[in-house]
Amino acid sequence: MARPHIEPFVDRDVAFKPLTLSGFKPGIRYKTLSIDKDTGACTMTIQYDAGFKQPPGFSYSEYEMLLMSGSLKVGDKVARKGAYFFVPAGCHLPAISTDEGAFALIFYNFGPPSFQESDRDHDDADRSKFKIINAYEDLDWLMTARRMPGVAPGCCVKALAFDEKTGASTFLYCMVPGFWQDNISYHDCAEEAYHIWGTSFMMQFGELPTGGYFWRPAYINHGCFKSDLGILAIGRTDGDLHNYFHHDPYSTPEENHERAAAAVARHKPALYKWILTHEHNHLPHDFEHPDDTYQATDYDSGIHMHDDGTSHSHAHGGAHSHLGGKKKNR
Amino acid sequence: MTLGSTTIRGNLRPKMTKDEAAWVKQELAEQIDRYKKIVQEMEALTPQREKWVADFLHRIQTRGYHVHAGNRRVIPKNEIRPRDGRPLQVVY
Repeated sequence: MARPHIEPFVDRDVAFKPLTLSGFKPGIRYKTLSIDKDTGACTMTIQYDAGFKQPPGFSYSEYEMLLMSGSLKVGDKVARKGAYFFVPAGCHLPAISTDEGAFALIFYNFGPPSFQESDRDHDDADRSKFKIINAYEDLDWLMTARRMPGVAPGCCVKALAFDEKTGASTFLYCMVPGFWQDNISYHDCAEEAYHIWGTSFMMQFGELPTGGYFWRPAYINHGCFKSDLGILAIGRTDGDLHNYFHHDPYSTPEENHERAAAAVARHKPALYKWILTHEHNHLPHDFEHPDDTYQATDYDSGIHMHDDGTSHSHAHGGAHSHLGGKKKNR
Repeated sequence: MTLGSTTIRGNLRPKMTKDEAAWVKQELAEQIDRYKKIVQEMEALTPQREKWVADFLHRIQTRGYHVHAGNRRVIPKNEIRPRDGRPLQVVY
């Protein structure tokens, strides 16, 4: 499952298209920002036209939505800009409508967009994670670096969703006017972000304005960073967002991946030694999740895109060991 | 890799309908075009990017490199890894 590296892309550069998938009512237009080649999971900006109405219903895929302008009547409540929805698969929303129209960002996390008319949840739905909050009014900015190592002062976050099992997260972030950070970063996870307002700069990609978007697979360099007038953005990851900072503009994703593994050996030597000692080629037993499995062959980081739309990582294809061998030459 | 929770069933109908499969196929075709356009645009930016990199390498050796939050360290020249002809690829 993977999406290619899409960076940078500005949704203002393309036109909306009507969403005609079966089940959806007329009056939704969309722009696809990125899509998973295997599952159809996707990120889109959507425009609900003035007068749009939709009966109660659910999506078969979990989705998240941030309302960026306009308003939506959801049942007997009105959601305005800043409203953030986390809707697990099969959880129904009451009827929605809008008099003035609404502009939103929506993430279908595990499958393509779908809408099934229903005034109750799917039998297999888990409503425990369902939430609707106003991200602009109900949450405070975290003013300090939330990670070690952390981003430079002036980049603040609001946590919207956090998966306690995987470390995946969704968050608003902002950069204050005059923000700058002189390092290069990469992560172990994929990261995507959308500029709700404002322009920032990254040394690799230039300026990303309002409507700017990226989907960046793991281990790809980004930064240094700056923003002259500040930004408001939403970001997401599919795992723990550790900042690997460095200052080599020419390092490759493969080198970054290897450096990250070396950092684990230095930062968590007991854990690293334990994994080596036990020669684990399977997911270690987790008493909280005893049924979990892991198939390394299924993992596709999406780091490399081909003309036919397929992608793959540059990871080694087979198990090997450097124990007792010569140091690998570069 | 798909983003999102793995603590619950994220998709209650993993097999796509014919309608959905056709939609995904069309969107993937557009994504490939989008990707190719990005690669071209980023290649065209190379001369400017080389200047940005030179400016960055100068700043971290004078004003400092962000180690953590507001903590900065001036990087000595011998810590700058030689380029040795390596390309400056930014899209993968």
